[in-house]
Amino acid sequence: MSEEKNDVIIGLECHVQLDTDSKLFCGCPTTAEEPNSACCEVCLGFPGSKPVLNKKAVDYALKVSMALNCEINKEFFFSRKTYFYPDMSKNFQITQYEVPVGKNGYLTLSSGKKIKIERVHIEEDPAALVHESGLAMSRQTMVDYNRSGIPLVEIVTAPDMRSPQEARDFLDQLTTVLQYLGVFDEREGTLKVDSNLSIKGGERVEVKNITGKKGVEKAMSYEAVRQKGVILKGEAVRRETRAFNEKTLTTRSLRTKETEEGYGYIFEPDLTAFELDEKYLNSIKQSLPELHDSKAKRFVQQYSLDGYTAGVLSRNPHLGNIFEQAIKSVDVALAAKFLTRELLGILNYNSLSFEEADLKVEELVGLMQLLEKGEVSEKNAKQALIKYVLEKASPRKFIEEQGLKKDLDETELLNAIEAAVNENRPAVADFKKGEKKALHFLVGKVMQSTKGKADAREIQKKLKERIEAE
Amino acid sequence: MEAMSIADFVKQVVMGKISVVQHTEQVLSEIDSTNPKFNHFNLIASELALQQAKEVEAEIKTGRHKGKLLGVPISVKDCICVKGVESRAGSKILSGYRPTFNATVIERVRAEGAIIVGKTLQDEFGFGTFCTNTGVDFPTPLNPLDKSRSCGGSSGGSAGFTALTEFTHAGIAESTGGSIACPAAFCGVVGFTPTYGRVSRYGLMDYANSLDKIGTMGKTVADASLLLEVISGHDSSDSTSLPEPVPNLGEGEGDARFKVGIVKELFEKSDESVRKECEKAVAQMEKLGASVKELSLPLNSEYGVAAYYLLSMSEASTNLAKFCGMRYGLHGKLEGSFNEYFSKVRSEGFGKEAKRRILLGTFARMSGFRDAYYLRAAKARTKLINEFKEVFKEVDVLVNPTMPVVAPKFSEIKKLSPMQHYAMDLCTVPANLAGLPHLSLTAGTAKKMPVGLMLTADHLQEQNLSSAALSLEGALK
Repeated sequence: MSEEKNDVIIGLECHVQLDTDSKLFCGCPTTAEEPNSACCEVCLGFPGSKPVLNKKAVDYALKVSMALNCEINKEFFFSRKTYFYPDMSKNFQITQYEVPVGKNGYLTLSSGKKIKIERVHIEEDPAALVHESGLAMSRQTMVDYNRSGIPLVEIVTAPDMRSPQEARDFLDQLTTVLQYLGVFDEREGTLKVDSNLSIKGGERVEVKNITGKKGVEKAMSYEAVRQKGVILKGEAVRRETRAFNEKTLTTRSLRTKETEEGYGYIFEPDLTAFELDEKYLNSIKQSLPELHDSKAKRFVQQYSLDGYTAGVLSRNPHLGNIFEQAIKSVDVALAAKFLTRELLGILNYNSLSFEEADLKVEELVGLMQLLEKGEVSEKNAKQALIKYVLEKASPRKFIEEQGLKKDLDETELLNAIEAAVNENRPAVADFKKGEKKALHFLVGKVMQSTKGKADAREIQKKLKERIEAE
Repeated sequence: MEAMSIADFVKQVVMGKISVVQHTEQVLSEIDSTNPKFNHFNLIASELALQQAKEVEAEIKTGRHKGKLLGVPISVKDCICVKGVESRAGSKILSGYRPTFNATVIERVRAEGAIIVGKTLQDEFGFGTFCTNTGVDFPTPLNPLDKSRSCGGSSGGSAGFTALTEFTHAGIAESTGGSIACPAAFCGVVGFTPTYGRVSRYGLMDYANSLDKIGTMGKTVADASLLLEVISGHDSSDSTSLPEPVPNLGEGEGDARFKVGIVKELFEKSDESVRKECEKAVAQMEKLGASVKELSLPLNSEYGVAAYYLLSMSEASTNLAKFCGMRYGLHGKLEGSFNEYFSKVRSEGFGKEAKRRILLGTFARMSGFRDAYYLRAAKARTKLINEFKEVFKEVDVLVNPTMPVVAPKFSEIKKLSPMQHYAMDLCTVPANLAGLPHLSLTAGTAKKMPVGLMLTADHLQEQNLSSAALSLEGALK
């Protein structure tokens, strides 16, 4: 099995929409509600219009290049890639060809393996083709130019990955870096990948235009199996370009042209060469945040966290920040557990991003403090947290108002236990016969009558003592 | 009657001695009567012109009348976008294209009170030297001095009408490889092409973006200079626009005391009658105080035309890709695949020379040929610019015949092969390839037709050009 895995060779070309306010070559916004409502003469390619470069996109591309450990080209320019396609407003795309912004970098996988980055370049997104009733059924194709001219960075790797899982891990690491840099919004922006796969010694097959990380993993898994099947039959894999079907999770042949298409690149004559001075480069370099892998390492060293927890905490820049704020006043282990298990659990369950949840560190810290002092049970803390994440109800207030504070005294608890035992004799009898479930049932009853103010573990202990004393 | 200079005309307008509305009506009626005979205009913007004239006149009455072009009729080469006015760059493929925005130059002349009278005829997208490569279903403009001869190209309508009109007038024209100087020389007017980047190209429908320059056509050096001053200056909508301040060109004084270099090869390669007239004009410059020496531009004379055509066609072939019958311009019947549809629209919409340049330009940039043609031409261009930079260490102004011949007869043009046609640009191409400012003015007459002398200065030295030309123009009168 492991031998088979090592035969697979994967390389990726990732197209990432940069999260700028305006488009790459005009002032149109990058988000819009109505189709064709965010476009002007430039993104529509009207004769007479001219592009003006959005410097923010260059800043972002430089950040990406630096974060991916690339060499930076201090002077770069743009090129025209000419081909006819209905989503192209000018029938040429402004991109970078000879000299990209960054080259020869790497990105480290979670295993520690380094994947070589061949180049990072800037280009414009074409318009979107819309088929109202699906590609197969539509009698017409509509074009939405809102996407035309949105800035992209293309990140090209060397064929360094050896399994679809490694390709997935690469994309996970990449999107984490991009989010740390604040240049990519995983919810709004799209990630499109052209993925190459070959079986050692065989021809290379390119699967074009795969959307999302999961898609890449699935497409590559299918391709690996398909190509191995071809080889098993004693045939040779053809060099070709294929498309991925997201519904059937299969790929199909698009074209088998052997050579690279003739795009007839020329220098983009409407834009001047871009020259970077040291001062500008340094200012970009200094604006780079601590990235997730170095942050995880630091968390392990500084706070004695285990590698896994440190990894989870540093995966999202917001989570890491909340953690470091919280531990100024709360125990490290408690904060780590609360944030990675409870908070992340709630966000993931509700498919919410940190941006969407818009959490206030003070509120979270306040809740953790109650927990630390033993003033609220874990169960009620979680309930308050859910209320806070979903309804923005202040956790302290909520606990106060609902009377969820752990202000139960020993006698009240013992009374509640006494009542539960007396009212549920059959369960007590079951427990005595060795049925553990019966005890859980009784604990639940006590929890109910004490409004969750007592900890389950404590109730269990006291219940056992009470029954065993009979 | 000789038409008033723009400066004098504006003074009269300000004093209320000329009614802008009446004057505009007269100019429009002249165009209406001459255009069927000479074809200088693609489109006469009567309604727009009269509306503008009324606005300007109303403004004059309120006392707010500071414009440098108050009430001056200005014609615009068809390749320059005028908001709401059909702008076709002389091509059928742009039929019905009414830009949603004004070119920057249009905004600038309008701000000075100019009246836009119409769009002038040109070779399709600027692809020609004689205005005989006009688009499918377009006529050919005729030389007002001899209807059997060419106006020159590609800004043929612009030069032709500037020579023809009895009224004060200047034209906004455009040059890629000599499209202002050539027709100016053939029609006996002044054509002023600025440094590349001096005038914003925003709103210019591209031929070859790294070469295209919007410039002016005038009856006199003063008129052409004044209009150039108005349209010059930095524009953030054009990334190649230069930030340098604009010199005062409109009120410049003549001055001949420059170091002038005669470009030997370009004199040698011109017709004898043309050469003689140009030599006489140079002698005149010397008399006026210029110090004259002969020098040589061997690389430019040998490789200029080849490098120019490779680069301009490569760029043109990408610029013309956008015309596919989808968003604007000519549309076809919706049938077949996308490829079949746009191929049909393009086959119908482009003229023969446009198709030739698309094919040649695409070939020159395709992988396998790109190194040998496109990239080599780009490298050659740098060497050619350096050759100019060397001679400008020694002289201020270069002179050469604008065209090696006087305006040819249409019967003669028909006999030219495409290569002979391209070779006619020999004298104008080098300065255009190097992005240098140049000006053509009439040096004399040969075969009863005007002979153009071309003056070229170093980058951004438009003021020197204007001064030298003013001085020479005064002496030649």
